[in-house]
Amino acid sequence: MLPNSSQVRGWIMTSNRPSLPTPGSTGSDLSSSTSSNNSDNNQIPNLHSLQNSSSQLSIKSNSWRASVNFGSKGVSVADSEGFSISRREINDDDARLVYVNDPLKTNETFEFCGNSIRTGKYSVFTFLPRNLFEQFHRVAYMYFLIIAILNQLPQLAVFGRGASILPLASVLFVTAVKDAYEDWRRHKADKIENNRLSSVLVNDRFQHKRSKDIQVGEIVKVSADETIPCDIVVLSTSDPTGVAYVQTINLDGESNLKTRYAKQETLSKVPEKDVISGLIKCEKPNRNIYGFQANMEVDGKRVSLGPSNIILRGCVIKNTDWVVGVVVYAGRETKAMLNNSGAPSKRSRLETHMNREIILLSFFLVTLCIIVSACAGFWLKRHQDELDIMPFYRRKDYSKEQVENYNYYGLGMEIFFSFLMSVIVFQIMIPISLYISMELVRVGQAYFMIRDDKMFDAASNTKFQCRALNINEDLGQIKYVFSDKTGTLTENKMEFQFASISGVDYSGEKIEFYGEQGAYNIQVDGQVWRPKMKVQVDSKLLKLSKTRNDTKSSKEIYDFFLALAACNTIVPIVVNTSNPNEKLIDYQGESPDEQALVYAAAAYGFMLIERTSGHIVIDIQGERQRFNVLGMHEFDSDRKRMSVILGYPDSTVKVFVKGADTTMFKVIDESLNLSVVKSTENHLHSYSSIGLRTLVVGMRALSIAEFDTWQTSYEIASTALMGRAGLLRKVAINIENNLSLLGASAIEDRLQKGVPEAIESLRKAGIKVWVLTGDKQETAISIGYSSKLLTSKMMQIIINNNSKMSCKKSLEDALITSRKLINVTRASEDDESSVALIIDGTSLVYILDSELEEQLFELASKCAVVLCCRVAPLQKAGIVALIKNRTDDMTLAIGDGANDVSMIQMADVGVGISGQEGRQAVMASDFAMGQFRFLVPLMLVHGHWNYQRMAYMILYNFYRNALFVFILFWYVLYTGFTLTTSITEWSSVLYSVIYTAIPTIVVGILDKDLSRKSLMTYPQLYGSGQRKESYNAKLFWVTMVDTLWQSVVVFFIPLLAFWESDIDSSSLGDLWTLAVVFIVNIHLAMDVIRWTWISHASIWGSIIATCICVIVIDAIPALPGYWAIFNLASSGLFWICLLGILIASMIPRFIVKMFMQHCKPCDRQIAREAEKFQNAMEITRNGEIEMNLPHR
Amino acid sequence: MDASTRTRSSSKKPKYSRFTQQELPAWKPILTPKWVITSFVTIAILFTPAGLLCLWASEHVVEIVDRYDDECLPGTFSANPESYIQSKNTNKTCVRTLKVPRKMIAPIFIYYQLDNFYQNHRRYVKSRSDKQLRDPDDADETDDCKPIDHTIGDAPIVPCGLVAWSLFNDTYKFFKGNKVIDIDKKGIAWESDKKYKFGSDVYPKNFQKGALIGGGELDESKPLSEQEDLIVWMKNSALPTFRKLYGKINTDLEANETITVVIQNNYNTYVFGGEKKVALSTANWIGGKNDFFGITFLTVGGVCFLVAINFIVLYVLKPRPLGDPTHLSWNRNQGAQ
Repeated sequence: MLPNSSQVRGWIMTSNRPSLPTPGSTGSDLSSSTSSNNSDNNQIPNLHSLQNSSSQLSIKSNSWRASVNFGSKGVSVADSEGFSISRREINDDDARLVYVNDPLKTNETFEFCGNSIRTGKYSVFTFLPRNLFEQFHRVAYMYFLIIAILNQLPQLAVFGRGASILPLASVLFVTAVKDAYEDWRRHKADKIENNRLSSVLVNDRFQHKRSKDIQVGEIVKVSADETIPCDIVVLSTSDPTGVAYVQTINLDGESNLKTRYAKQETLSKVPEKDVISGLIKCEKPNRNIYGFQANMEVDGKRVSLGPSNIILRGCVIKNTDWVVGVVVYAGRETKAMLNNSGAPSKRSRLETHMNREIILLSFFLVTLCIIVSACAGFWLKRHQDELDIMPFYRRKDYSKEQVENYNYYGLGMEIFFSFLMSVIVFQIMIPISLYISMELVRVGQAYFMIRDDKMFDAASNTKFQCRALNINEDLGQIKYVFSDKTGTLTENKMEFQFASISGVDYSGEKIEFYGEQGAYNIQVDGQVWRPKMKVQVDSKLLKLSKTRNDTKSSKEIYDFFLALAACNTIVPIVVNTSNPNEKLIDYQGESPDEQALVYAAAAYGFMLIERTSGHIVIDIQGERQRFNVLGMHEFDSDRKRMSVILGYPDSTVKVFVKGADTTMFKVIDESLNLSVVKSTENHLHSYSSIGLRTLVVGMRALSIAEFDTWQTSYEIASTALMGRAGLLRKVAINIENNLSLLGASAIEDRLQKGVPEAIESLRKAGIKVWVLTGDKQETAISIGYSSKLLTSKMMQIIINNNSKMSCKKSLEDALITSRKLINVTRASEDDESSVALIIDGTSLVYILDSELEEQLFELASKCAVVLCCRVAPLQKAGIVALIKNRTDDMTLAIGDGANDVSMIQMADVGVGISGQEGRQAVMASDFAMGQFRFLVPLMLVHGHWNYQRMAYMILYNFYRNALFVFILFWYVLYTGFTLTTSITEWSSVLYSVIYTAIPTIVVGILDKDLSRKSLMTYPQLYGSGQRKESYNAKLFWVTMVDTLWQSVVVFFIPLLAFWESDIDSSSLGDLWTLAVVFIVNIHLAMDVIRWTWISHASIWGSIIATCICVIVIDAIPALPGYWAIFNLASSGLFWICLLGILIASMIPRFIVKMFMQHCKPCDRQIAREAEKFQNAMEITRNGEIEMNLPHR
Repeated sequence: MDASTRTRSSSKKPKYSRFTQQELPAWKPILTPKWVITSFVTIAILFTPAGLLCLWASEHVVEIVDRYDDECLPGTFSANPESYIQSKNTNKTCVRTLKVPRKMIAPIFIYYQLDNFYQNHRRYVKSRSDKQLRDPDDADETDDCKPIDHTIGDAPIVPCGLVAWSLFNDTYKFFKGNKVIDIDKKGIAWESDKKYKFGSDVYPKNFQKGALIGGGELDESKPLSEQEDLIVWMKNSALPTFRKLYGKINTDLEANETITVVIQNNYNTYVFGGEKKVALSTANWIGGKNDFFGITFLTVGGVCFLVAINFIVLYVLKPRPLGDPTHLSWNRNQGAQ
């Protein structure tokens, strides 16, 4: 965030109007930085030291360094980057020059892109080559391709042309159709977008032009409720002061209105009459939607432009009749389009492990091929003398004049060819189709996650979002959850609770205004105006605030509420209601804290009803008062406070300051009233200890001399071209001092529904929950208690140090204590009492990236709970990295704000809360949802299912393909090692495409090992994923041994049965085909837990489909196996064979499975039994987790 | 607030359906001890008699097998069998006597059996042209048949390829005393092959005219569809030891009868160390004589029976109530401490 680099108020001198700076011009900047930092509650104590740590971190990992830039909104580090940028002038080389209203000149020197957008990847002509190129980037497809090419060599032609190309072609075709469909939809959307009409100034008149024809430098006019077609710098608006309200929901998801400003120099110009010309020098297109650096030369003057002067593509104009602006970025160079990139791709843990096993399988493959080629070599060597006229070899060709070798290239080459041929024949040992099946299964799993009505948030009307499609199964193996606090654990809906005014605590009884009449309202032109939100008020304070007399306390209360109503950037907007005599005042602003304070002030009779460029109107106890806003120092994370300079109607001038207690007490003149300060501090402590967010308000009257000095320096600072932000900060610090303390406010950020229960569930599931918050320690601890993260039985270790040495010492001490305590706990068999570690950001500065990390890790891994308070965004990522780099455990980070972006990207799984704080976190996340408590169904239910399904599917695919390969291999041993297959080539191709593909995908999507209810009631069942119970090396080897046995049974039973018989190759091949398909499907059927009609249909359907395919293949006279199946099926031996194979192959598996089930039942097994025979467990007990009951 | 109204107007809430909530009605079988024991016992009960039945059926198949490749080799050629078999002048006739062990009821199938003959060898399998066999116009489709595709004079060989070239050409004649036993050579090939794979208007041409004779010759006046010996031979067998149907005897043979077989020992298996046998066999539902299934089924049945007993013992000695929460890992750990 660039802190207000733009508000050059040169016009204060040039304008003849009262020198009132536009409040909102600072407002937008201020509010965005407050809003993003409110989660940190302005508590980051030592920015520079934090920056050190962050820069160290960034050296360590470039990958998320970049991500910080991506989510740089209001991140404190980015804030400071902003300072440095604002001090830097735009270099000519780095600048883009835009001649206002002169698109020709603008576009002649540089080729700026037009406004047409193309999100589609392909055109009709480029589709085939580009799509193929992209598809072949996958290793799997390359493997297919190489095998297919090898097969085309005449010496190696194992399969016919058609059969060898079919698998690759079908995969390519399916993917291409999918890509084409997606691209077609994008093209359609592009077309609509590009043909949207907008008003463009051509020859001094506004004409309708299609959006795609807009060029940089042109002037466009956008009316209310229209979408901005490209990034424009505001020149003038319908508002005489040049304000425009925009909604940025399409850009960042924030629904509240933001204000944008036209420059004084341009706002009075009417484009159709006045000639507008000028030169805008702005930065190159970049993706930072919260930053903009430019200056504009207009009428010989140079004014600078900032983020509040630009409206970005995709925003909607609200509450403003029209806006005129000049296009600076168009088309794909707009910030909205530059941000239009997908989520980063991650690879799931299961897939990483699977790749390890795939390497093993390729060793198997190579071994089989070596065996075959070596044997082939021996065979040829042994029969060397006979080969020439051997009836089934006939090396010599006598048909020519000269007798020569036919198709024989010497022993060495023959061995080499056999090797390559065996690779071709055994190719499906590497289950390439598995990658495609996995993708399909993940899409299916995502479908069910998205449509789960228990993860739908009714309050914000948001569905679960699955942004990353390749880590579904990781959700079932999480060991650590890192959670943000504000907006994640809490609602981020601020509610004013208590006030301490002049040392008097008003936290008494509340009156609730739920009735229509009770709420405070005012009469305007016979209408009733009421604030939109109702606030609970303190009856005593309400009474006091209503009495106007000159007592000191009454005045202080007056000043306090005036400060709350005035010292902010809130814009009141009057909304019509269904009742014509009633209007609601909606306070729009980006900081929920400020909104809460203004609503509170309104409830006590200080209702802000108007904010225009230079003044505010406050209705004080029914009496309208107008105050001039003479200046405003916006919030920054260094000062952690903001101030506003108000000109009273009686022309006295006062500065009101509001900010975090840490920095406010430094600027409060304690000598004025020490006891008030002391008691306020006590109150603050008690507020924060019950989890409230506190702000301190102070005030000072300014003498005329003081005001004049301030005004001069303020003007100089705000018109400075170099280092404006720093200068302004200095001015602010000069004026914000010697304040008298007015009081303090306490705002509650309520816990989200179901958070304590969710945390309890996660803890039971063996997941460690860490809370990383920017809040101060007391607040963090109190939230810890209320969310049941901390319990009174826990022992707290607090590390809160200011130097490396002291950090080291406290870490060592803590380690000793924790060790002791854990020993004690073990002895006492009481697992409730455990250690909680509370550590603050300052200490982390010294610990992260130093040798102390190791100790912290050791300590943290012993603790049941870790609370990190006052941490900076990059530290959050650093903490995640601390765990991720040292353990094999899976991490999940959940957060809602821009400050969580780095953490979300660092963790194995990132979850974004689509809540109050915009969409930055969601954009960076893998999964997004509305509420923290949905984490429980997400991980415990869907994560568990996804993991079990995917793990099983991978093993099953290994088994399925290996079984087939082993059968081919055994047969090769009986063909003189010549890689003949008795199974027809079509059947071997269709084996993994039709015969066995669908059931595994269906089971991978639909099978449920346990019901949702059991999983929610017994969170411990989640442990099976953490312990990798469903996919590990042991299971892999067991599966392979089973595969070997089954292949032996399938192959050798028919072999021995038909040895010395007149069976032909095709018939035996058909028998093997049917047997292997039956077995593979029965094997799957034995492991299916829930038989829905879909599983029945797919498994039995596959078997039937196989039979039909085999029959069809054998009904084609051109193929060698013509009519084989019919002859075969008429013999009794065939059926006996099939039955024998089925039973004999499954028996060992069945015995082992039953034995393990009885003697070493896993948790899932017991729970499954309990589910069915509800006798033992009281499964009917309601789950502790709040669940939305499905309505039927 | 207005949350409720908003929800009502444009709620994105997923529509409830049993499918999307993954709550489709389902059958969730759990194999309880009862089921396990029942299934093993059932398999045992089914397989043991089935095995016995197979053995019994196999026992009722009467089979006479006689290896003659070595016996029919005159002693003078024993060191050099190839010169004997390749020579046109040696006497190939060989007489074998067989004893019928039990009564053989017609039809009795006559097979020749070759050992160590890789009819499934890659070079061999591919060396044929199915098109040529079907259609007289495709006589030139001989690409796959090399090196036995054309004569030196470049005329296509019909049928071409190694498979046809190596046609088995030993002949058998059976005598009961001095009486000839009729051999029915009709209907030994598959009807489907005769109808669709071997054309009734395709006649052998240039067959076995090359420098090297691989085996039998064909009657050039008979279309391929009537050359049943060729059709049988060209049905590639799956395994290197195989039998092929030679003909059928439609009269019963009594027990202890002696029959004489007069063999024309033409076919060269000496070159690759193969064996030749002649086999007479009756057939029933199990096919030929085959004890393998009986033994396998009995084994499976027996194993299942043993397993069932083991499981019964296990369930009695170490019972585990189904769904007993004390066995859950987290409860177990607590108990252990």
